[in-house]
Amino acid sequence: MRRLFTHAVLGAAVAVAVLAPFNAGALERGPDGLVMVVAGRQPVATLDPSVKYDASTRTVQQALYDALVKYENNPPEISAWLAESWETSPDGLVWTFKLSPEAKFHNGDPVDAEAVRFSFERTLKLNQGPAWMLSSFLQPENIKALDDHTVQFTLDRPYAPFLSFLPWWYVMNPKQVQANEVDGDMGQAWLASNDAGSGPYKIKRFEQGDIYELERNANYWRGFPYDDENGPASIIYQLIRETAAQRSALSTGDADIVLSLSPDEFDAVASAPGIETSTQPALTAFGIKFNTKGEFTADENLRKAIAHAFDYEGLVKIYNGKAKLQTSPFADAIDSKIEVEAMPRQDLEKAKEFLSKSNWPDGGITLEFVHVQGNEEQRLMGLILIDSLQDLGIEVEMVPLTWPNMVAKGSDVKTSPDMMAIFATPVSTDADAVAFQYHPDSWGKYYGSSFYDNPEVASLIEKARFETDAERRSELYAEIQKRIVADQPEIFGMMRERRIAFRDYVGGFSYSPVRMTTEIDLYPLHIEK
Amino acid sequence: MLLFTAKKFLIMVGTLFALLAITFTISHVAPGDPAALAAGPDATEEMIQQIREEFGLDKPLPVQFLIYVGGVLQGDFGTSIHTGREVVSDLARFFPATLELVLFSILFAIAIAVPIGVISAVRQNTITDHTLRLFSVAGVGLPMFWLGLMLQLFFALKLGWFPLGGRLGLLTDPPTTITGLYIIDSLLTLNFTTLLESLHHIVLPAVALCFPALASIARVNRAEMLEVLSQDYIVNAKAQGLSKFRIVAIYALRNAMLPTMAMIGLRFGWMLGGTVLVESVFNWPGVGLYAVEAAVASDFEPIVAVTVLLGFMFMLANLAIDIVYGILDPRVRGANI
Amino acid sequence: MTQENIIMAEERQATWRERHQSTIRQLRLYAHTYSRNASAMLGLAIVALFFFVALFGPLFVPYPEDATGAIHLDNKLQPPSWEHWFGTDEVGADVFTRVIVGARVTLHISLFVTVVAMLIGVPLGIAAGYHGGRIGQVIMRLTDVFLSVPALILAIAIVGSMGPGVQNAIIALALAWWPGYVRLVQSKALSIRSAIYVDAARTMGASNFRIIFVHILPNCASPIIVKASMDMGMSILGIASLGFLGLGAQPPYPEWGAMISTGRNYLPDWWWYSFFPGISIFITVLGFNLVGDGLRDVLDPRGRK
Repeated sequence: MRRLFTHAVLGAAVAVAVLAPFNAGALERGPDGLVMVVAGRQPVATLDPSVKYDASTRTVQQALYDALVKYENNPPEISAWLAESWETSPDGLVWTFKLSPEAKFHNGDPVDAEAVRFSFERTLKLNQGPAWMLSSFLQPENIKALDDHTVQFTLDRPYAPFLSFLPWWYVMNPKQVQANEVDGDMGQAWLASNDAGSGPYKIKRFEQGDIYELERNANYWRGFPYDDENGPASIIYQLIRETAAQRSALSTGDADIVLSLSPDEFDAVASAPGIETSTQPALTAFGIKFNTKGEFTADENLRKAIAHAFDYEGLVKIYNGKAKLQTSPFADAIDSKIEVEAMPRQDLEKAKEFLSKSNWPDGGITLEFVHVQGNEEQRLMGLILIDSLQDLGIEVEMVPLTWPNMVAKGSDVKTSPDMMAIFATPVSTDADAVAFQYHPDSWGKYYGSSFYDNPEVASLIEKARFETDAERRSELYAEIQKRIVADQPEIFGMMRERRIAFRDYVGGFSYSPVRMTTEIDLYPLHIEK
Repeated sequence: MLLFTAKKFLIMVGTLFALLAITFTISHVAPGDPAALAAGPDATEEMIQQIREEFGLDKPLPVQFLIYVGGVLQGDFGTSIHTGREVVSDLARFFPATLELVLFSILFAIAIAVPIGVISAVRQNTITDHTLRLFSVAGVGLPMFWLGLMLQLFFALKLGWFPLGGRLGLLTDPPTTITGLYIIDSLLTLNFTTLLESLHHIVLPAVALCFPALASIARVNRAEMLEVLSQDYIVNAKAQGLSKFRIVAIYALRNAMLPTMAMIGLRFGWMLGGTVLVESVFNWPGVGLYAVEAAVASDFEPIVAVTVLLGFMFMLANLAIDIVYGILDPRVRGANI
Repeated sequence: MTQENIIMAEERQATWRERHQSTIRQLRLYAHTYSRNASAMLGLAIVALFFFVALFGPLFVPYPEDATGAIHLDNKLQPPSWEHWFGTDEVGADVFTRVIVGARVTLHISLFVTVVAMLIGVPLGIAAGYHGGRIGQVIMRLTDVFLSVPALILAIAIVGSMGPGVQNAIIALALAWWPGYVRLVQSKALSIRSAIYVDAARTMGASNFRIIFVHILPNCASPIIVKASMDMGMSILGIASLGFLGLGAQPPYPEWGAMISTGRNYLPDWWWYSFFPGISIFITVLGFNLVGDGLRDVLDPRGRK
């Protein structure tokens, strides 16, 4: 049997070699320097800034591209970026921007007025992604490059919050886009996984559904807010779908920043050595949208019964206290936000009273609750809903869907579910960015899946939008908030804090509430020794 | 022999075609509008209609099927909605990962199950025999996905011996693609860092995948060993004073391996099914994970393609077994299949 | 009742016994052989426990409302303790309660899948084996197609197109499971069809119906029973797998696979959440397998590979 034994020893040696822990720490030197790893659970859908924006997509787009202006700080401020300065005509119609002469695209071309004009025109023509923000009052032909460094926008109507949308309109290099156009697609196929930007990072690897690596643009025209030697050679945005795996990656150092820990994991990690956390209020509001034209939820009394049976405290408990209940359809940091007194809270007596006035006084119905597949927080909210509505004799069927399927379902009044869990982040702190969600123009968008139909509110929203007198505008929005609450098109939920955890050597982590809860600004990130 | 193989092969092609028809039908009678899904959230009714016409979704089902088969014959399995790429190029990317995992898992299964079978046979009806058999039988009842989670919990999270998932570490570049199997490719290109890391990543998922197969392989091996060990020539060899190890390892095992290999071939097919679970647990970028993500996203064309692909591999394994048996046992050739 | 009547009744009973004496003796022999197999007895004990828990467990669970979606957020993710033997889950529900009630759910589902698969597979198998001919050919080819792909993959394809949910998962599994029975029954029926006693019955004018029910079915019974007991275990695994992938039961439905699917998000700190449902699946499936193995040794020794 001796030979058997030697074989066993050999086997064990191989096993040990394979077993030896590899802690390929992320900050280990790659071939070109330090590599920082950000782990998130949402894939980057496309790099094309005209086509789509969501938290992960914009995190990457913001690093590859520059806009005329940029949101920074808390409370959010608009700072000059590609535009050095700007002015508005007295009637609020004409906006003129002076561009910084240093700005260069990654291939060395200057960022000129024509590039700005081209980019805005492209986004408006493709009419996807951010196009809706400006499309109702800006025509492509009314954007003019006056000279190399001056670009002028003439709006159809005066629109005060125009500037507040511009940080999301990125500027692309027209030459690169046109060179890669296929069958008149305006370069869409190419731009999906390549960049034509001027931003602080360049795309290095685009492995869809897995890894996106951005290489630092050492010649960035604006420079970096840290010493060059502390800058990462590249940043990897890695998809880690399981939150437990994100947590493990953070604690082993395989990831330096993780974006989507569950509230419980976050609390567990917060006390670990070497790890820092950032919890700050976000603009994002969570609501459960009713389909106000649906078979059951068209009944206002039923909606109110549900809203009064719902366990709002449970929402806060899900986040271990790191969330605040909404006191208005508007999140806290939105302009003209008021506290609506009639905001429903859990009150079973009232709930039963409303139910008795509805078409289903004894319940006995089953309602659909649609949420994002794999989103643990939304699933928990569904469980709270099931528990809360048991007292009304209403059953809830949980339907997890992927986000695209959910959006598709909510796009049609006939398929829009009875109740749908929606996190919505307004694109700016201007009240119109939220109020717009309750206007018929939003019907069929995910945030308009309630098909809320109140002509009076709609005309108030239109009126407030173009009102230039600040005080009068606030009054209108106060009225709008009260009216919306009175109609109960959704269960107004809460605003959670963003929970981002990172290794303590990550420096420059900054925060602006207009960013979505898992969106971060990669530009200032560096290593602190 | 050639006739036998050709006949088998023809039947296989027919079966594949029928499988394609069945999965196509299943996925196209389903509720839901693939055109609306493909068109995306901002689509107008005209855009959806246009897509419907473009993909022939407005035509009756049999016509759609013919169009589809026409595409398949030209190597076109349609486009995946959730990855936005052609299904064929997705499969080309994900299948090598699955194949690598399954092959490795087979190796593990052999390395564990054959010794169990041999030792059980040599020590028939002793405590060792019972213990080993119980161990392998227990594997049958183990939910693979749960075993995977527990392996992760213990060996990756608690002890930190193995990575939690994936095929390679973040900073390691995949080896130059030759076969698409990282372990083989890195061996061929003498890239030992990548080789070691691929091995390191494949251990846990391969163990989780092979466990349920252990019992049947060990059982066949034990039974065959028992039979072989009672044969005259073994008894003779013993009488001639050859060492016990030599007898067991060389004479007996060699003869017992053929039926064992047949069972392993059978298990290969089942492991292909198991990859769906194991890949989900270990975030292994193979066709199983791809199929599950497609199923969750109601993305039909990848599901049909993966089903047919796995069916093909399954049949291929069975065909291989049949051919081997056909060569060894001429009686099988004429038999009605 | 008169003396006469009682005697008649006794006689009748005696004749019943007499008529079935060989069957009874056979069953006794089976029971005896089976009881000498330690692992088979262990399996029987597990299965008996499982049935007991599934049938009566829900009556005794400490927090019955937790199985139907009650939540206690103040009490979430508590480790195992006297109050909560298996700890609590992410909404404070008692994991022990949910596992016990889950046994009943599991029994329902696996029985349904097995029975439906048998109801589809056995008649088709008899048709193919006994009648043969063109219909038999078509049935067998169709069976081959279904057998040409792993059952779990087929089930995923079916659920994928019908949409996730426990009903759809059950249907999908049943649809993916029947072909095994066709193969089994067909070969048996084929061999019995030409047996001498069946020929004899036929010449005596027995109807096809009678031949099938008196001669063929009873002869197929042993392998069917063995396969069914194995399939109980396998369908438990199948349904749990679909639940784990998010394609089967949805919370708060207390299905073991779905519980593990959620529980994995709470590893490693809150391990009990996915540990206990998993170990329950393991033990139950093992039990059915051991029983199936034991039955095969007794009923169908040649079927053993």
